[in-house]
Amino acid sequence: MTRCFASFVLFSTALLAADDNDTPTWRRMELRAPALPESSATHPVDRLLGAYFRSKQVTAAGSVTDAQFARRAYLDLWGLLPTPEQLAAFSADANPRKREALVDILLADGPRYADHWISFWNDHLRNDEGVVYHGERKSITPWLRPALEANLAYDKFLQALLNPASKSDPDGFLIGVNWRGDINASQTPEMQAAQNTAQVFMGINLKCNSCHDSFISRWKLKDAYGLATYFSAKPLEIHRCDAPTGQAAEAKFLYPELGGVAADAPLEVKRAETAKLFTKAENGRMPRVLVNRMWKMFFGRGITEPVDDMDARPWSPELLDWLAADFAANGYDLRKLMRRIMTSDAYAMQAWRDAESKPYVFRGPVPRRLSGEQFTDAIASITGEWRRLDPRQPGPATYARDWQIKSTALGRALGRPIRDQVITERVTAPTTLQALELVNGSTLATLLHRGAQRMLGELKPAPAPLFDSGQVTPGTKELIAADVDVAGRKKLWLVVQDVDSYDPARTEALWTETNLPGGRERIASGASSTNVLDVSGLDRFRAKVGLAESSKASDVNPRVRFFVFGEEPDPKQYLAVKGAPPVAVPPVLRNADALIDRVYRHALSRTPSAAERRAARAFGVTKPDGLEDLLWAVAMSPEFQYI
Amino acid sequence: MNTRREFLSAAASAAVASAAANTTSKPISAKADTMILLWMAGGMAQTETFDPKRHTPFEPGLDPNRVLSTFKPIDTAVDNIKISEGLENIAKVMDRGTLIRSYQAGDLGFILHSRHQYHWHTGYAPPQSVAAPHLGAWISKALGPRHPDMPAFIDVGQSLEIGAESDSLKSFHTAGFLGTEYGPFFITNPEDAMAAVRPPAHISHERFAARYERYKKLLEAGGAAESGAQQQDALRRAVDNAHRLLTSPGAKAFDLSLEKKESIEKYGDTRFGRGCLLARRLTEAGARFIEVTTEYIPFRHWDTHENGHTRARVTKQMIDRPIAQLVLDLEERGLLNRTLIVVATEFGRDMIQEGKPDKPVKDQVKIPEKLQDLRQYGMHRHFTEAGSLLLFGGGVKNGHLYGVTADERPCKVVKDPIKIQDLHATLYHAMGIPANYGAEIEKRPFYVTKDGKGKAVTELFGA
Repeated sequence: MTRCFASFVLFSTALLAADDNDTPTWRRMELRAPALPESSATHPVDRLLGAYFRSKQVTAAGSVTDAQFARRAYLDLWGLLPTPEQLAAFSADANPRKREALVDILLADGPRYADHWISFWNDHLRNDEGVVYHGERKSITPWLRPALEANLAYDKFLQALLNPASKSDPDGFLIGVNWRGDINASQTPEMQAAQNTAQVFMGINLKCNSCHDSFISRWKLKDAYGLATYFSAKPLEIHRCDAPTGQAAEAKFLYPELGGVAADAPLEVKRAETAKLFTKAENGRMPRVLVNRMWKMFFGRGITEPVDDMDARPWSPELLDWLAADFAANGYDLRKLMRRIMTSDAYAMQAWRDAESKPYVFRGPVPRRLSGEQFTDAIASITGEWRRLDPRQPGPATYARDWQIKSTALGRALGRPIRDQVITERVTAPTTLQALELVNGSTLATLLHRGAQRMLGELKPAPAPLFDSGQVTPGTKELIAADVDVAGRKKLWLVVQDVDSYDPARTEALWTETNLPGGRERIASGASSTNVLDVSGLDRFRAKVGLAESSKASDVNPRVRFFVFGEEPDPKQYLAVKGAPPVAVPPVLRNADALIDRVYRHALSRTPSAAERRAARAFGVTKPDGLEDLLWAVAMSPEFQYI
Repeated sequence: MNTRREFLSAAASAAVASAAANTTSKPISAKADTMILLWMAGGMAQTETFDPKRHTPFEPGLDPNRVLSTFKPIDTAVDNIKISEGLENIAKVMDRGTLIRSYQAGDLGFILHSRHQYHWHTGYAPPQSVAAPHLGAWISKALGPRHPDMPAFIDVGQSLEIGAESDSLKSFHTAGFLGTEYGPFFITNPEDAMAAVRPPAHISHERFAARYERYKKLLEAGGAAESGAQQQDALRRAVDNAHRLLTSPGAKAFDLSLEKKESIEKYGDTRFGRGCLLARRLTEAGARFIEVTTEYIPFRHWDTHENGHTRARVTKQMIDRPIAQLVLDLEERGLLNRTLIVVATEFGRDMIQEGKPDKPVKDQVKIPEKLQDLRQYGMHRHFTEAGSLLLFGGGVKNGHLYGVTADERPCKVVKDPIKIQDLHATLYHAMGIPANYGAEIEKRPFYVTKDGKGKAVTELFGA
């Protein structure tokens, strides 16, 4: 194997060792909170920024309105828009510290907080819902969602990820994303673990030097292997560009001054040591990396950029260190950190809308695009039309936030990543292809179509099935018996729903041994079919359902679900739904102005101007089509899509 | 619109791969403006298609080791090239292109279709530390759209929800780290390609147009014009561009109902046939890169784990007419010389050998000692040692044969082996893109061919 990048130009590298006086503060392991400047401001962030603005001769922008603040805060903590009711209550509140109070209320709701922040962590820990590969990959959602809901301290959070010692710990993170077959030496689970932990938790990129000494940083091949050894049951042999070197790797942490164990120590010992190395108080880099990522989430740009290169110069080393030290002093409490950031005047500053200056000067938050999840959930909460999770077993569906469902074309277009790698930054810029999905994609169109009908009270409630077989596959051992009371009914709808068969055209679903007279004892149907039967005079309908033997071949791989309905079913919703939706369903309105008001208040957190009201009326919003089109137009507005 | 000249001047400035300054890269004059990749999904058996060996007819009790091909060879328009029975139409146009018989698929260990497809489409085997872009995304980035109203990268015929391997498919049908701007425009079902460019099913064209007008008035009423933030302007522009694309004359290219009945019949009444017809229309309308797939669904089409003989017959029937017709139609329209058609698959197949003869991997299909049932007769194992592909147009030689495989099992490549990085270098070369074209990700250079080192097989081009 030849050397990688043989023709590559060498970059100058900034070499640094352990902390010394020449090491700039942000590259030191040591973390100390800088003294706060004298200031009329009380919030530490604002005191630091006050001095910063003076030194840069920047006049700080004013604060957003209460309503805009509420919109920001709800989206940032719950990933949901404030409802008109929530907004009205906030506006009416006379408490002079109501912004702070709102942040506390939002932070106190663990489930809603977790339903938003899980997407951030799913990106960083490349965890996804229902995503499987041929090869190993393991979801950590059963651990992650409760950990967020309970606000597990970040040091404990990392320890569980790095040293999954107990059964409930998230071992999926270290297992990595693997494909069956041979793996390049730089992509073994141990090397993935080294690259990902260094990048996500320490802001260090080890990808170059997983193959060879880096040309762009100070990191060497042996450093990547040094960290990987901590995640390996066996000692590792260093491979250079996929070729074995014969050299055994030492166990060496990125910053050996923090400690370490020998390469031949048992895996449990090594992992336990790693968990300590990443989270001990002497590791000042870990909190800097985290607060920088959080700052970026709330302000659209990090204090250090790129966020994965924490050796780069921050625009305010003092702010970075103060927040990091505060975070550590508060026991690595993520919600306290968010509270600290969100209660500053800086968080409430109007967005800086001009192009970024070079070098960057902080002048306020950058407009942030709604994430795919926020966008979809926003439409759902405005219209009351939520997506659902269908269980495999018979029984009702549950309402779902967008993160709980496998990504759709809409979600992917809006930046929800394919999490094959850790994702520390989403691509959110508008593109034509993305706009095509918004303009004529079926996911959004269906959501708006049904949502508008729902808001006008014109969406007929979907009838619940009298019988639901659950998913039937070739692995389903026996025929499933249906026995339904049909006394007094004239008609029955026998429905077969295709649930991703490989070859629906060759799938044959059978209703057998029915108690129907006249040659209808056996009904063969396709993978998506509805048979309407006359059942006048019948008290019960009985049948056994299953797949025809002929369709059980591997290239057909049928997967269907059988239903019996007593009324005409809604093909978009065969299953009944249980539980409450994530946000209360909006009231049914039929008056044009009331509808327009509602849409504006919910979508944009404000009332429409007279000119907007006129323009909105032109849609004809008391008809479902008109309301649907208004919803689309508002959803396409930059004001809606940006925070 | 990105013009070729802009691109080439960028390439010549040696900063194509921004940080990756390989100064040896010279601008290449493109031989083709459009590339059409006809993807034979599932592993097309080379000995049943374009590299026929000794034919052994089925009989009960047949020793599977005797079986190299289950079809007879037939003559083609080129004297020294014989291909497999059932491909008579392609045989007639073999003088318009080059047949490569020596493609060697990646050595990835245990065989997994989606992983080999990922490898073929990106040049990199997963897992990768960054998301590798699809060939079409690189071409889209390097060359841009050929016509401003036509997406640069159009991906026809692959459903992304196919059960267990869905996620593996999604992971390479993307622009990867290049971002959605260069990603595929999906036409999932070519039989209804218009669905991709017409309003949602329940919205009429009139309503769609009115909605857009009202949207613009609504934004105007809100004073949007003054808001001025760059991100927000970009969003408005994107929505405008989408509408322009959907309502442009170019959108008619997606409408197969405008084709004469005869021309639809010439391509065959199948999804793949419709896809090829669509590819012709899109090429005429200015598409840059089009992939049309027979569609990968586990155990279907070319993924013959059983009943391989019969299924190869059916699948050949599906591809023979449309591929040949596409070549003829583009030729008739004077477009073939500037359009590169590539017919390719992730790996070949064999009755006995799984993987490579020198590096066998775990068998996935049990082969009986004696064949008793016709369903046991066929190329049921995955063979990564040799595979065939076809190139038409785009400056490749006519009636040319490249690469030779042995006539006896294991039918190894005996002359001119070509692996993915050199194959890709060759395809990019035809499009005027150097093999070390690339982009920077996380401050690292990432190239269209692995480490920028692919070597184009230039002898494939010429008269």
